[in-house]
Amino acid sequence: MTTRAPRAGKLGSPPPGVAASERLPDEGEARITVTAPPQLRAGPGPGGAGTAAAVIQTEALTKRYTGEVTALDGLTVAFAPGITGLVGANGAGKSTLIKILLGLLPPTTGRAVVLGHDVTASGERIRTLTGYMPEHDCLPPDVTGTEFVTHLGRMSGLPATAAKERAADSLRHVGLYEERYRQLGTYSTGMKQRVKLAQALVGDPRLLLLDEPTIGLDPAGRRAMLDLISRIGAEFGISIVVSSHLLGEIEQICDQLVVIDGGRLLRSDTMTSFTQVSQVLLIEVDEGAAALAAELAGRGLQPRRSGRGLLVRIDGDVTYDVVRNAVADLGLPLNRLEQQRRRVEELFRDAGDEEERDDD
Amino acid sequence: MTTDQGAPAPGGAGVIHDLGYRHYDGPRLGRAAIIRALYWHSLRSAFGIGRGVKAKIVPVLTFGLMCLPAIVNAIAVAQHPGQAPVVDYDTYTFRLRSLVMLIFVAAQAPELMSRDLRSHVLPLYMSRPLRRLDYPLAKLAAFTAACLLMLEIPLVILYVGNVLSAGGGSAVWAQTRALIPGVGVAALWALLLAAIGLVLASLTGRRAYATGMIAIYLFLTWTLSTILVGIAKHGPAGPGAVPLGPHAVAPLGARLGGLISPFSVLDGVRQWLGGTNPGPIPPPGSVGFWYGVMFLVLLGASLAGLAARYRKVGAA
Repeated sequence: MTTRAPRAGKLGSPPPGVAASERLPDEGEARITVTAPPQLRAGPGPGGAGTAAAVIQTEALTKRYTGEVTALDGLTVAFAPGITGLVGANGAGKSTLIKILLGLLPPTTGRAVVLGHDVTASGERIRTLTGYMPEHDCLPPDVTGTEFVTHLGRMSGLPATAAKERAADSLRHVGLYEERYRQLGTYSTGMKQRVKLAQALVGDPRLLLLDEPTIGLDPAGRRAMLDLISRIGAEFGISIVVSSHLLGEIEQICDQLVVIDGGRLLRSDTMTSFTQVSQVLLIEVDEGAAALAAELAGRGLQPRRSGRGLLVRIDGDVTYDVVRNAVADLGLPLNRLEQQRRRVEELFRDAGDEEERDDD
Repeated sequence: MTTDQGAPAPGGAGVIHDLGYRHYDGPRLGRAAIIRALYWHSLRSAFGIGRGVKAKIVPVLTFGLMCLPAIVNAIAVAQHPGQAPVVDYDTYTFRLRSLVMLIFVAAQAPELMSRDLRSHVLPLYMSRPLRRLDYPLAKLAAFTAACLLMLEIPLVILYVGNVLSAGGGSAVWAQTRALIPGVGVAALWALLLAAIGLVLASLTGRRAYATGMIAIYLFLTWTLSTILVGIAKHGPAGPGAVPLGPHAVAPLGARLGGLISPFSVLDGVRQWLGGTNPGPIPPPGSVGFWYGVMFLVLLGASLAGLAARYRKVGAA
């Protein structure tokens, strides 16, 4: 699966020669070992290896609505193949970006290229190659799952028979095969989200744009949806952009994160570089957590409360020694000592903390 | 908690999907074919085909009602050969026809438009390889076709009934010549009523509101127009009111009163274009031209409204 997380530079543009020679053999290999599809597609980009670096590329993309509202403000970012998380608070410009990428909204200035096609010039072509799952409810209640997905398959340009077959396939992939003849109105929230995913998948897209796919789901439903997305990205060879306002949630399945705020790019990087420097140690004691925190702080660490435990950044083996000594000196009942990868969310929180400290 | 980024959860997850994902390498149809598919889908749903039994009640009833005069006519001319047809091709029992079309348009136009607005399904269409106005275009073509079927099939039944009882080739030819303007008039009806019905239905996602809006608009204007025509024709009702003789040219007020309602506009156009059978409004005579203008204004306004509406909906 490492193939889908190219070691891209900050803006996802590795040296072309290196990227192509490194990735292509792996790509084929991965496909064969996973599902052995009868037909292999050349590369993630339409022009083959040459343009394979980015699935989506935007340059100084700006969208201003009438009334001075700036939804996107000079956004320049590249989305590599694989699963990319598009993270930002509500109103950060995620949905606007997705609509521009689909060629539904014209950008005020700047440009965007999706799968090698310009959004202003070739919107229709992009929409042929792209599946879109909207954030909001979009299901008529009195239609069965099969009818709905089949119809939207036809709307994606599939002939009648192919639309039927692909609808059945898509519904099976999202785990709704048994329920496909039920009316959508009788579906649970989780099932509705999966039908929305199935209709995005029905046209066999090269790219999926999923707008807040976990919204309204309970924790188990979120987990299932994320697993599904992760599987589609890994096994089906489809690049995916998942938008979410919850960073901690989608980071688990992403290869790359694009964080936007107020229409500007906050950060864009691969998950590995996000988390490389982010090893933390979780310490859980049955009692005396406060005393331990004070003790650790006294020994030069910066412990932070996290639920019932404490988190400290790992700076080599020394950290373990310090923690062990502190716990032993205080004579506390140690319950758990676990090395964790820090959530990206915490990275941002830390960055904020540091800025605050700098101000002091 | 260790999360192996990107990789599927080991065990369990992969097992379900042994069949694997199959890519589609068959033909992909272009925009025109997609519009055609949407057209067929909408035409079917205008008659409740592919929907539940409940969705078929109104189309079946209205269609049956619409065919009734033609069937009655067929029986009448069959029993009394040589008798003139009971029903004309161009007016086709105006009152029944307008009432039936009012019900059909009010009930079925929301089925095509409001339903999709209600369930917010439009973003899904917009994310397909369609242009913004392709959706209303397909819907308009489908609903016009549906109205055409409602209006023309009874005419065909009428024609067949008359021809079966007609004696000799010249009688058949006479029937055919009478049918042609009837087909044309019905086409004007279909064009105008479909456009008006769809633009009104596209204003709201609530089907009941849309149905009410269409029914009230068509019924109210029709009633108003009838009252105006009546007042102008007979003068204010009262002891002194004297009805006009049958051959007098109706006063201007009576001739213009029909401009308010789409139904009487349609009949005004018919008479302006040379229809001689008596209709619900007096022969417009010199103002007939304005019925033609009004027809185009109503049609144009409806189409422009539809386009404006969907240019906006798509972007939202």
